[in-house]
Amino acid sequence: MTDVEVSHIPKTSTAPRCVTRSGPVVLPRLVRQRAMAVGIGDLAERVAAGERLDAGDARRLFEVDDVAVLGALANQVREARFGDLTFFNRNLHVNATNVCEASCIFCSFARLKTGDQGAYTMALDEALGRIRAQRDRLVTEVHIVNGLNPDLPWAWYLDLIAAIRAERPDLHIKAFTAVEIHYFAEKFGKSYVEVLTELRAAGVGSLPGGGAEIFHPRARRKLCHDKVDADGWLEVHRVAHRLGMRTNCTMLFGSIETMDERVDHLLRLRTLQDETGGFQTFIPLKFHNENNRLRRLPEPTGNDCLRTLAVSRLVLDNIDHIKAYWIMLGIKLAQASLWFGVDDLDGTVKEEKIYHMAGASTPQELTRADLVGLIRAAGRIPVERDTLYHVVAEA
Amino acid sequence: MTPIACVGYTNAWPLTRHLDRSVFAIREAVPSEAARLLRSGEVELGLIPVAALLSDGDYEVVPGVCIGCDGPVTSVLLVGETPIEEWESVALDGESRSSVVLAQILLRGPLGRPDLKVFPVDPGSGRFWAQGRTGAVVIGDAARNLPDRLITRIDLGEVWKSWTGLPFVFAVWAGRVPLAPEVMASLRDAAVRGLADRVSAPEADRTYLTEHLRYELDDRALMGLRRFAALAYAAGLVTRESFSLYPPPRRLQKPLDVDSLLAKGAEGGRLSPAEGLRLFEHGRIDELGLAAHQRRLALHPGPEVTYILSRNINYTNVCVTACKFCAFYRPKNHPEAYVLSREQIAQKLTELVNAGGVETLLQGGLHRELGIEYYEDLFRWMKSEFPTVSLHALSPEEVFHIMGVSSLSMDATLDRLVAAGLDSIPGGGAEVLVDEVRKRIAPLKCTSDEWLEVMRRAHRRGLRSSATLMFGVGETLADRVEHLERLRQLQDEYAGFTAFICWTFVPDNTYVTPGDNSAAAWLRTNAIARLYLDNFQNIQASWVTQGPGVAQASLYMGCNDFGSVMMEENVVSAAGSTYALDITEVERHIRDAGFVPVRRNMRYDHLELRAGPRRSGGAEASL
Repeated sequence: MTDVEVSHIPKTSTAPRCVTRSGPVVLPRLVRQRAMAVGIGDLAERVAAGERLDAGDARRLFEVDDVAVLGALANQVREARFGDLTFFNRNLHVNATNVCEASCIFCSFARLKTGDQGAYTMALDEALGRIRAQRDRLVTEVHIVNGLNPDLPWAWYLDLIAAIRAERPDLHIKAFTAVEIHYFAEKFGKSYVEVLTELRAAGVGSLPGGGAEIFHPRARRKLCHDKVDADGWLEVHRVAHRLGMRTNCTMLFGSIETMDERVDHLLRLRTLQDETGGFQTFIPLKFHNENNRLRRLPEPTGNDCLRTLAVSRLVLDNIDHIKAYWIMLGIKLAQASLWFGVDDLDGTVKEEKIYHMAGASTPQELTRADLVGLIRAAGRIPVERDTLYHVVAEA
Repeated sequence: MTPIACVGYTNAWPLTRHLDRSVFAIREAVPSEAARLLRSGEVELGLIPVAALLSDGDYEVVPGVCIGCDGPVTSVLLVGETPIEEWESVALDGESRSSVVLAQILLRGPLGRPDLKVFPVDPGSGRFWAQGRTGAVVIGDAARNLPDRLITRIDLGEVWKSWTGLPFVFAVWAGRVPLAPEVMASLRDAAVRGLADRVSAPEADRTYLTEHLRYELDDRALMGLRRFAALAYAAGLVTRESFSLYPPPRRLQKPLDVDSLLAKGAEGGRLSPAEGLRLFEHGRIDELGLAAHQRRLALHPGPEVTYILSRNINYTNVCVTACKFCAFYRPKNHPEAYVLSREQIAQKLTELVNAGGVETLLQGGLHRELGIEYYEDLFRWMKSEFPTVSLHALSPEEVFHIMGVSSLSMDATLDRLVAAGLDSIPGGGAEVLVDEVRKRIAPLKCTSDEWLEVMRRAHRRGLRSSATLMFGVGETLADRVEHLERLRQLQDEYAGFTAFICWTFVPDNTYVTPGDNSAAAWLRTNAIARLYLDNFQNIQASWVTQGPGVAQASLYMGCNDFGSVMMEENVVSAAGSTYALDITEVERHIRDAGFVPVRRNMRYDHLELRAGPRRSGGAEASL
């Protein structure tokens, strides 16, 4: 499914976004000393010099147990970019259907067929009701991710987007993972360009980063053999970027992948980013083990989560933001992660289903005041942003 | 001096009249001209129409204030000699930028005249063009003094409100370069004073300024502005669909020079209370953690992280102190009140021994009818039935209570308890060792001095104890330092404390409003405790309140012990903390953090484990 030549069409706003030009990385003495003590003194110096880390370097970082020194190093990089600024947004999630043809073994959300127990597909009015319920709040984004539902026609998706757009034209619609885009293209006989162009015309502003899971074919075959492969996932984002849409990217970590496969994943993202510059934010997603076929596999511990966030910050030198998704990390770990390379806390999520069906015990919603309080208590400066990192309101 | 452009309309008066003329060089203009001055760089900041914000340049918006309305505004009108249904065209007055965009959006939307031809006319000439079948957009003070011939007057603020339910924002302070915080503050200060002055405005303007106009750039106004931006962009009337407020300054107040304090603490030097406070106030978490870890490695260079398998036996929940932060206690006649029987205790201890446990933590409420004999009998019986189980029992509060119930001296009480088998004392009930705080959260508990005195006399007898801190109850940072200081002073006397343990207040089901009980505060407090308590050997990561993930991080930020696998824990869980780990999980977390898990006893001696399958503490707890 290669695409016709797409020229760069800058469509989205070019209004100033929070500055991401990195200042110099200055290593405090304690960081330098400890980095040397754990055998990554050379990597620390290279990070400070703004040099790029390669696969071997990334692999060495993943082998460091001392998560505090990795965190401190990543924190210097984060502070060189944003100082103490910590971003959050007010958004709501719409998971409009959980009927899904794919059979990913880590998923607790999907149901195979319409009519299966627990299967649901929202009518347009139900989805809109969720938007209307937020009428009086300065919510700036709706995040829409669904199952691959074989029973829905193309018009259903376009209608959903257009209806939301008509209801709340000021709401940024971040909709459909690359997996869904690929599914639409195959099912409806369209190219990625056609799918994305039609969705954009209906009102989609950007793509979420889900469905990346692990790119490496060995792990990907085991985790989600019938999902779009790595090249397809990356191609969807390449096309979106060329159309002027920004996107996010993710990695599902802590299930069956090896450290090498994590490194491979990060570097594939970095390579595409070098080419297009269209990724805004990288979000590592922690594997949860309830209600799915991997329930015997222990979940990654906090140490692994913080290490992965920190290494991501150090390796992904060309992606602006590293986001902690508190729904899956837990609020406490997410707050701590603000000192381990993270500069963005996922928003005041409403109605999240995918992780909660996998046993996440986090609340359904943090209020804006909760998030601001958490960020302040961490010794950081909260900044409310919209999807494209415009500063939305005073925090 | 910052050159700025202002609008001379009455509606701008509250924002501009008190501008500090020693800070700002002011140029007065109509809205479109103010926008031009900013675009050309002749001013750094302008009170500009929002349409200019969305078309002209890379501007950022000063948060807080705007000129807007939330319903009829009276000064932004579509006017004409004939009803709008009869119009063929509309003149767009060049004085305005936002209102003409708004008018076009409303004509296409709720006014139902997308067909009307629109054409720009010279600034200020709008009302002269309003003739016959031509309407006009008229704004500002001119719109408030219209000739009688203009019988159609459609208030665009009113139409917008009834269509969207939102306020409309006409103008904002915006500019291009980063603004000094003082400049921003000065703008706001002028607005605060000007808005207060509205009541003394000339009679003719008072209602206009106080009721028709709305100056707050709050969430609702921002929603209105974002809605306008999206609609105007979709209609091709502006070139940007969004905008950004000025971000706050990127750095918190520059930390004072804490490097030398960190180095001093890391090397085991003694920090003064003032220095401890500076670390609390200005230390950054990552550097605090690294310094604390350096100190920890000097004390514990090996790869081990210890933990203990223990069973909490809360022999009674009847308690007279009624602490406001406690969700565990019950009054004596409450249906849920209990005192455990010997059989119940025996069963718990049998399970503990079977699981390989060597210690029990015996704590309970302060029951008025349980005197020293009860404890002596209980201890003797436990020691004879379960000689391998050491008895970590009775916090200072309980010792105090027994003294009172049995009318004994502190020394006599401790002597008799030791003779009966007491091995060591848990450090609970310390809360915050500052009487002001204690009085507020636990008014009936013993004072700080009394708590410390029990520990002092216990240590003098060779009994060891732990020391705790429960924070996040609204105490100050200085209170936390004072707590650490008092522990350190006592430790200088007999070195009887085995470890320092801190946890955060868990607020569910209690009456205390939490202070900062976040994970970040917990990591900082542990790291500072490691640096400050130079005479303590161990800092325990109590994962019960923060979760095991945050506790793992603390193993590289000052802590060297992973607390306990509790076969039973009633107190914190009654207050809603949900973390529970069994032995397998505790060891997995220690290993995954890169350490070797080692079982210990209460004195922090490493234990050789006897062979045989490990039993799960968590599973036992559910028996």
